[in-house]
Amino acid sequence: MGISLLCGVLKSTDKIQVVDALLLALIGIAIVFIILAVIMLIVSIVGKAFDKSEVLKEKHPEWGEKLAAAKSKMMFWKKLKKDAEDAESAEAANLSAPVAAGTCGELKLINTDERDAAMIMAIVADTTGTPLNELRFKSIKRVEEEK
Amino acid sequence: MNVGEILKNLGESTGFMGFGGADGWKALIMIIIALFFLWLGIKKKFEPLLLVGIAFGMLLTNLPGGELYHAEWWTGADAVANGVNYGYILQHGGLLDILYIGVKTGVYPCLIFMGVGAMTDFGPMLSRPSSMIMGAAAQGGIYLVLILAVATGMYSGGEAASISIIAGADGPTAIFLTKTLAPELLAPIAVAAYSYMALIPLLQPPFMKLLTTKKERMTVMTTTRKVSKKEKIIFPILVTIIVSLLLPSVAPLLGSLMFGNLLKECGVTERLSDTAQNALMNIVTLFLGISVGATAIGATFLSAKTIVIVVLGLAGFILATICGLLIGKLMYVLSKGKINPLIGSAGVSAVPMAARVSNTVGLQYNKGNYLLMHAMGPNVAGVIGSAVAAGFLLAVFA
Repeated sequence: MGISLLCGVLKSTDKIQVVDALLLALIGIAIVFIILAVIMLIVSIVGKAFDKSEVLKEKHPEWGEKLAAAKSKMMFWKKLKKDAEDAESAEAANLSAPVAAGTCGELKLINTDERDAAMIMAIVADTTGTPLNELRFKSIKRVEEEK
Repeated sequence: MNVGEILKNLGESTGFMGFGGADGWKALIMIIIALFFLWLGIKKKFEPLLLVGIAFGMLLTNLPGGELYHAEWWTGADAVANGVNYGYILQHGGLLDILYIGVKTGVYPCLIFMGVGAMTDFGPMLSRPSSMIMGAAAQGGIYLVLILAVATGMYSGGEAASISIIAGADGPTAIFLTKTLAPELLAPIAVAAYSYMALIPLLQPPFMKLLTTKKERMTVMTTTRKVSKKEKIIFPILVTIIVSLLLPSVAPLLGSLMFGNLLKECGVTERLSDTAQNALMNIVTLFLGISVGATAIGATFLSAKTIVIVVLGLAGFILATICGLLIGKLMYVLSKGKINPLIGSAGVSAVPMAARVSNTVGLQYNKGNYLLMHAMGPNVAGVIGSAVAAGFLLAVFA
């Protein structure tokens, strides 16, 4: 209110009287106090709201647990949805995946090159102690690590 | 070809001949002052990041013949009547004219505020909101100096308002206000503001000791509540909305301060926060210092007005300190001895220098009584307070 009354009344080049300066000083300091008091009030309310939510969490741990459970449930459904989408895209990739040489069309390579596939088969054969010709590989898929 | 004529012309074109002009002696004195400021900045380390730039700008602008800065294009009668002709300046201006555009348009002070925001932790203020009252009270110095400046009868309203903001102990705010209300006084006001900020460790302690009792100074303040990350993110957004709606003229300064702080607190813009705090801040400080120094031209700087500005600036710093301390004492009483009144003096902006002074004086009387974090509350509130005070004066006089 004070500002709108003074706006445009004074020009920077105008000389003002001490009484005017006194009036400006009073309004000015009042405005600084009012604005900082408003900020203080809001900060206090926000702070108390946060503190209260912390206290409530401590007082009613079951609320926190319920919230955590709801969150994890949501995460589970999200993950499930993502897995389904991944499987769908993997299946699509599967259709066009190249067939490994010497497997009579049985081994599917998904996001895996032949060199890696050969190495994996050799490692499995060596680790299990089974000759490679007695093993049957259906598919080898590269699994991306979750970040 | 007349060799003698060529040598004569060459001699006349040197800067040395410029010292023989009407204001030549003033330029010489300004060069001596510039060298003195360089000595203060380099040898005595008085706000060297700014003072060295200001002093060098002062030196460059007073060397005759350089044509680096043209005061008449910015504050001459034509510029005042018809506005600054930026197109002409960009075409024909010297280096410092071009750099000065950032001052005149208010870009540099806002960018500095962005960097200050990115470096400031509002946590101590948020944990003790009552500290904002001390930040507000210290702005009393600004308005007391306004009355004093008007009482001298030497200044117009805009000039008195610009001088009064020195008491806010906030260089960018002083420059932001002065470039609009009294551009011809920019150099003495900027130099006074930054010089007194550098002198805070010497200026404040005597008054802190004078106005507080030993018992009050020994008060140990307890730790305050922990401020959550979410609160720190919400704060700059809320303050920007509320204060800009209440006092729109403060939006450029406060908006920049809060934007810088949001970059720091939101946790997803680390690169931007880092740039605002370091690279951008350094670049703008460099441009700001040298272009503000360029406005210190002998013909206008060496006047009774400048001397009175220096005196009023000093009075402003002292009055702001006293106002902060008095409200600190009041809060000591109201809190039943829980708030140390020494933190009231940190209400003058000058972040974090004023808070450090409170801490140092507190430690002198009670070893282990670390007041720094408690004093940071009024200190950062003072930054907001001085920006609001500048916004008010801008709204009244612009």
